Amino acid sequence: MEAELHEALRRCPADYAEVRWEELERSRVAFQRDQLMTLERSREAGGIVRALVGGAWGIAVFTDPDEISRKLSEATQLARAATRKVRDPIRLAEVAPVQDRYLPELGVDFREVPLEEKRKLAEAYNRLILNFAPEIISSSVRYTDALRHVIYANTEGTYLEQAIPDVTVLLLAVARRNGDIQQAFESIGEAGGYEIAQNLEERAEAAARRAVDLLSAKPVKGGRYTVVLDQELAGVFIHEAFGHICEADFLLKNEPMRKVMQLGRRFGVEQLNVVEDGYIPGRRGNAPYDDEGVPRRKVYLIKEGVLSGLMHSRATAAKTGMEPTGNARAVSWEHEPIVRMRNTYIEPGEASFEELISGIDHGIYARGAFGGQTEFEQFTFSAAYAYEIKGGELGEMLRDVVLTGNVFDTLRNIEAIGNDFQLKGGAGGCGKGGQAPLPVTDGAPHVRVRDVIIGGR
Amino acid sequence: MGILERATQAAESAELYEELRNTVDVTFRGGEIEKVGSREILGRALRVIADGRLGFASTAGEDEEGLLQAALASARHGDPAPFKFPKLSPGEKVEVLDEEVLGISPDELISWGEEAVQAIREEFPDVIVDASLSRGTLKVRITNTSGGELTEERSHLSMGIEAQWIREGDIYLLWVGRTVRRRVDLVPEELIAETLKYLRWGEHVVPAPQGKPPVLFTPKGTVVLFLPLMVGFSGLSVVMGTSPLKGRIGEQAFDQKFTLVDEGRLPYGPSSRSFDDEGVPTSRLPLAEEGVVKNFFFDLRAAALADADPTGSGIRGGMLGGGGFRTPPSPSMRNIVIKPGQGSLDELIAEMGDGIVVVDVLGLGQGNVQSGAFSNNVGVGFVVKDGKVKGRLKNTMIAGNVYQVLKDGLVAIGGEPEWVYGLAHVPPILVEGVSVVSR
Repeated sequence: MEAELHEALRRCPADYAEVRWEELERSRVAFQRDQLMTLERSREAGGIVRALVGGAWGIAVFTDPDEISRKLSEATQLARAATRKVRDPIRLAEVAPVQDRYLPELGVDFREVPLEEKRKLAEAYNRLILNFAPEIISSSVRYTDALRHVIYANTEGTYLEQAIPDVTVLLLAVARRNGDIQQAFESIGEAGGYEIAQNLEERAEAAARRAVDLLSAKPVKGGRYTVVLDQELAGVFIHEAFGHICEADFLLKNEPMRKVMQLGRRFGVEQLNVVEDGYIPGRRGNAPYDDEGVPRRKVYLIKEGVLSGLMHSRATAAKTGMEPTGNARAVSWEHEPIVRMRNTYIEPGEASFEELISGIDHGIYARGAFGGQTEFEQFTFSAAYAYEIKGGELGEMLRDVVLTGNVFDTLRNIEAIGNDFQLKGGAGGCGKGGQAPLPVTDGAPHVRVRDVIIGGR
Repeated sequence: MGILERATQAAESAELYEELRNTVDVTFRGGEIEKVGSREILGRALRVIADGRLGFASTAGEDEEGLLQAALASARHGDPAPFKFPKLSPGEKVEVLDEEVLGISPDELISWGEEAVQAIREEFPDVIVDASLSRGTLKVRITNTSGGELTEERSHLSMGIEAQWIREGDIYLLWVGRTVRRRVDLVPEELIAETLKYLRWGEHVVPAPQGKPPVLFTPKGTVVLFLPLMVGFSGLSVVMGTSPLKGRIGEQAFDQKFTLVDEGRLPYGPSSRSFDDEGVPTSRLPLAEEGVVKNFFFDLRAAALADADPTGSGIRGGMLGGGGFRTPPSPSMRNIVIKPGQGSLDELIAEMGDGIVVVDVLGLGQGNVQSGAFSNNVGVGFVVKDGKVKGRLKNTMIAGNVYQVLKDGLVAIGGEPEWVYGLAHVPPILVEGVSVVSR
């Protein structure tokens, strides 16, 4: 395909153009209670071309590989329709052309594992959940694997082939007592082989046990609390609430927000360091290059409490006079790359967990994440479950804990950072601009934050 | 030999679903055109029943042999199929295609976006405007070995405006959008007017009343209320035992003012279609009438498990439309219609005294949706005092349970329904019993 792509690009009249062709091999097994909802192993292929003409993009998505040349012309035409209206043309930061191939090690190659075995694995987890207790009325167990093979070429001479594996398992239990329904889940996601999905029996039972426990948990009382976030929830917080506003694409034509996000501005305590790590082999969605063919770099978003970097595509880097960071990612061949996170985390501090909760007279220990959303400075995210903190000690289990706030206030309100760092890739993913779920990894140690608003009845 | 015919050499029955998606979309960022795109995507899914077992596979593009082998392999390790593929008969067509939409050029889409940018900037020069416009068609073809073939071409046209008003210490983000099937149903001026109205209302931030004040959901805001119902009325949730409405047909589960209909066949309804993604004819299905639970909605599988009739609700891509051909059908609502009452949004505001208006929330679908619980940060909301909008609220959470609120807390349903999210035709709804907490 390499020669064909170069030839098609050579003939493209656009100022700049690129082609990405992807082939996906994947399996899915999904049980809901006793029903096998999905059992599939299949392949798909599709492509996208992007052409830059006079500072505006034309894009064409297609599924017929014989159409590459025609789609490059189409994208060029579409860009021309926009070009006439452009006053502030898009430019691309320079990067050195690369030619490279990347094939990760898979451990147990999931493509060699029979579909039947995957079914049995998921079914066994499902049975563990359903048989755990009489209160368990339903379940959802999902196994997925995928190898995304990406071929990328552009008019500057870059040619890349990258294969990105992804294995996820979702273990969800639903419990009911009287009219009350509660659910709990464990979610696993790594870029590796089949071994990632194996030996998760304890996690399945943990999900079931927690769903039953939540039936007896107290609904949280809404109000303002000092909250200790566990590693997972602190990771979701830093991704959702802060990570997204460090994606430079939304600053591109947004003068006021660029002023807010000035490098050098203090956002938190001295001990706070936030990292956007480009390439950690084995973590979800990781590969050496992004979907613009740019090497993925490590960036400190916050260093010692001060804003020190942002995430860039080639266009946002050119606009702001920064270096591209390799953050341009597409969820699939159906989409163009946009500025996205990769591995986002709060670096560990020095406090032990006991130190974090001691001294909290009346607070909340919030654990796990149901999800989160952010709208610039406003964020909200749901803890999967929580505990009261009373007189510096953990108390009763709580539920319905939804945290909300203003990210700038909340970062300032981080009082203490734990020493027990963890990175976690879940079975879900990140959504932005209609592109979801993008595999990402978040991480953090335990973190203590004062003045967090908790919604509740 | 066609793929179905080849499938029957190894399977008793088979079903082929094909979709061809053609769209043109334009994106404005910071008030300026950024990109124009086209999509031409062929997706296919094959289901087979072999030795009584169900198999499924999907693919994008042309690979027929791969699709067939993948579906047969899935069936070999699958479970007994609880249903049979229905005989496909064309039946009466619903109007879902507007030829005029096909003729809309990128230039025209660009001009609508420019119009929005200009109108908003004129009154609010500091507001940053992003906009997206899209038009296209989805051609669906379903064939199966029970006989027959169904095809339909459906048009869609959508426009979204995002306004960002950023001032020191305050960021106000507003999104207004509409998805329709007909060109005449998309009036850019209406979206512009809605954006301007909420910008005017939101210029100043004021403290929100605390406790349990009256809460008025605008049509867009009602998604907080109807999202849990999309799960609760699903035949699959009922079969799985996770729906709080299980076993409650005929019961007064909601206030008498509340009537909810799953409308599959409204002419040019944004989610209307003549048949579902399994080839079952769609219907008008009352779910709750005057507060009484009437029906649940079913795809072939859930219907077979519940010993009920399929309702033409087998949709690929799930509740909110993602995934498409890659996802096996599951029960999903078509157009969600809540029967309107009386009074415009402004009249309801005048009548509510002191309270809040909710337009948009963050964290939709987070938490325990099955139980009906919601707990959301209000993304766009306003404070009402003495029947007048006083300003925008911030840093405020609302929480409650939909099943409680729509039974004991339903004060009034308004009279001017609007299409929201391309799937619901809903009026404003005024409720009490929702807790409001601000910092």
